[in-house]
Amino acid sequence: MNDVLSIYLTTSLLLIILGFYCISSKRNMVKTIIGIEIITSAINLNFITLGFSKNGVDYFAQSITIISISIAACIAAVALSLILNAYRHYGSIDLRKLRRLRW
Amino acid sequence: MMILQPIIVLLGAAAIIPLIDLLGKKIGFEKIRDIVAIAAFLIAFIILYSFFGNLPQSFTIDPYGPPLGVELRVDNLSLYMAIIFCGLGLLVSIYSIKYMEVDSGLDKYYSLLLILVAGMIGVAFSNDFFNLYVFWEMMCVASYTLVSFRKYKWEPVEAGFKYLVMSTIGSLISLYGISLLYGLVGSLNFTKLHSAIETIYGNGSAPLSLLYLVICMIIVGFGVTAAMVPLHTWLPDAHPAAPSSISAMLSGVVIKTGVYAMFRSLFTIFHPKIFDFGTILMLFGVLTITIANFMALMQKDIKRLLAYSSIVNIGYILVGGGIGAYVLTHYGLKEASIAGIAIIGSLLHILNHAISKGLLFLCSGCFTHEAKTRAISKLEGIGKKMPLSGLSLSIGLFNLAGIPPLSGFWSKLFIILASLSIPENNFMLAISIIVILNSIFAASYYLWLTQRIMLKKPTEIVEKVHEAPLSMVFPIIVLAILCILITIKLDLFIKIVELASNNLLGGV
Repeated sequence: MNDVLSIYLTTSLLLIILGFYCISSKRNMVKTIIGIEIITSAINLNFITLGFSKNGVDYFAQSITIISISIAACIAAVALSLILNAYRHYGSIDLRKLRRLRW
Repeated sequence: MMILQPIIVLLGAAAIIPLIDLLGKKIGFEKIRDIVAIAAFLIAFIILYSFFGNLPQSFTIDPYGPPLGVELRVDNLSLYMAIIFCGLGLLVSIYSIKYMEVDSGLDKYYSLLLILVAGMIGVAFSNDFFNLYVFWEMMCVASYTLVSFRKYKWEPVEAGFKYLVMSTIGSLISLYGISLLYGLVGSLNFTKLHSAIETIYGNGSAPLSLLYLVICMIIVGFGVTAAMVPLHTWLPDAHPAAPSSISAMLSGVVIKTGVYAMFRSLFTIFHPKIFDFGTILMLFGVLTITIANFMALMQKDIKRLLAYSSIVNIGYILVGGGIGAYVLTHYGLKEASIAGIAIIGSLLHILNHAISKGLLFLCSGCFTHEAKTRAISKLEGIGKKMPLSGLSLSIGLFNLAGIPPLSGFWSKLFIILASLSIPENNFMLAISIIVILNSIFAASYYLWLTQRIMLKKPTEIVEKVHEAPLSMVFPIIVLAILCILITIKLDLFIKIVELASNNLLGGV
C-alpha cells in the first residue's frame, strides 16, 4: 500500500512544481490563475492520500478537500473579475502590461 | 455557542446588508445600511467584551470535536486579538459613512468589511488548522475585493491582482505544510498536534528535517500576509490603492492576523524548547526592519511611506516573538521570564501599532479626501488647516516613533530589554544593536513627516482645505485618545498582555 501512497504523494509534488512553473513563466493572467488552481488540486490530492489508511478513508480529509475546492472557486471568481477589469483598462491580459506600480 | 455569537452577528449583518440597502433606497434613507453595519460591529464588540472573566471557553461539533476534529477556543490571547480587530472595524465603519460617500456599491463594501472582521475573529478563535484555514481564506477573499474596490482606476486592479496571487500562493504553501502535519499526526487540532509532535520527536518516527520543513512552510505561508521581507512586495502597492479606511484595516489588523497565526501555530504545536524557530523569526525580523526602513525613507507618497512603516513594525513584532522562542530554546525555563518580557513587548506592540497605524491611515484619508493628493510635498502644512487631524497624526507618529512616555516606547523597550538581558550571547547583542539603530532611524523619518505636515508653510493646494467632517474626525480622535490612555494606564494594559502572553507560552 505504501508504494501506491508514495505514487500519489509524488504526483502531488510534481503537480505543485508544475503549478509554480506555470505561475512564474507564463505572462497570461488566466494562466497564472490556472497555475494556482493546479497547486490547490495538488494539495487536495495530498490531503486525500494522507487520509487513506488500512482502516479505510478518513472523512475529515475529504471534508477539508471539499471546503478547499469551494474556497479555490471563490478565489478564482475574484481573480477572474480582476482580470476582466484589467482587460478593460489595458485591452490585454498580458501581465507585462501591468507594470505601472512603482517600487 | 457563545463563542460563535460575534461571528454570527457579523456574518448575519453582512448577509442582510444588501437587503437593507434595497429597503433604504425604497424609503429614501440609504444610510440605514451604514447604521446596521456599525450596530453589528458594536454588538460584536460588546459580546467580545463580555467574554472577559469567563475564559477559556471552547466550542465543538459532536462527534467531530477534538482530538480529531474541529474546535473553536477563546483564551486571553484570542480575545485580546479579537477585541483589537473588532474595535478597529467599528471605528473604520463609522469613518466610512462620510469617507465612502462618493463611491457606489456601498452595500457590498459594508458586507465585505463585516466578512473581513468575522474572518479575522474566526482566525483568532480557531484551535485547529481546518477552522483556521477556512476563516483565513474568508478574510483574504474579502481583503482582495476591498483592495480593488475602486476598480474603475488602474491602480486598485493591479494592486489587487498582485495581492491575490501572492497571498494565495502563501496560503497554499502553509496549507501544504498543514497537509504534511495531518499526514504525520492524523489530526489538525492544535492540542492534539502539540502532544503528538513531542511524541514523534521523542521516538524519532519522523525525520527532524521534515518537521523543520513544515515550520518553514508555516512561517513563509503566513509571512506573506504578515508582509515579512522578502514577501512584503504586495503591501506597499495594496495600501495606497485601497480606500484609506481599508488601508487602516489592512495595516492595522490584517497583517497582524498573519503574525498571530504564525505565532499561535508555532508556539502551540512546535515546542520552542525542542525546535529552534526563534532564530529564523529574529533573522526575518531584523531583515524586515532594516530593508523597510530604507524603503520608507525614499517614499514621496504619504500612504506608501505609512505602508513601509507597517512593514518595519511587523519586523519589531517578529523580533519580539523570535527572542521569546530563542531564549526558551537555548536557555530553557530558567530564563522563561526573559522570554515572557519579549512576548509581552511583541503583543503590546501589536496593540500600539494597530491603534497608531489605524489612526495614521485614517488621518491620511482625511488629508486625501480634502486635498485630493497623496504627495507629501503637496500636503505640507496641512496640519495648520486641519488641526484636529494634524494633531492626531502627530500623536500617532510620536507613538510609533517611540517617543517616551508614549506606549510605543515601552513596547519597543520591552523587546530591546529582553534581547539585552543575556549579554554573553553575541547573536542577541547584534540583534538588539540592529533594532536600536533602526528605531532611531525610523524615529527620524516619523519626525520629518510630522514637521512637514504640521510646521511647514501651507502649499497652494492646502490653502483651500478645511477640517474633515465630524464623522471622519471622531474615530481619529478616539484612536488618538486611546494612544494616550494606554500610556496613562500602561500597568493595566501590561497585565492584560501578560495574560495573553501566558497563553502563547502555555505549552512551555
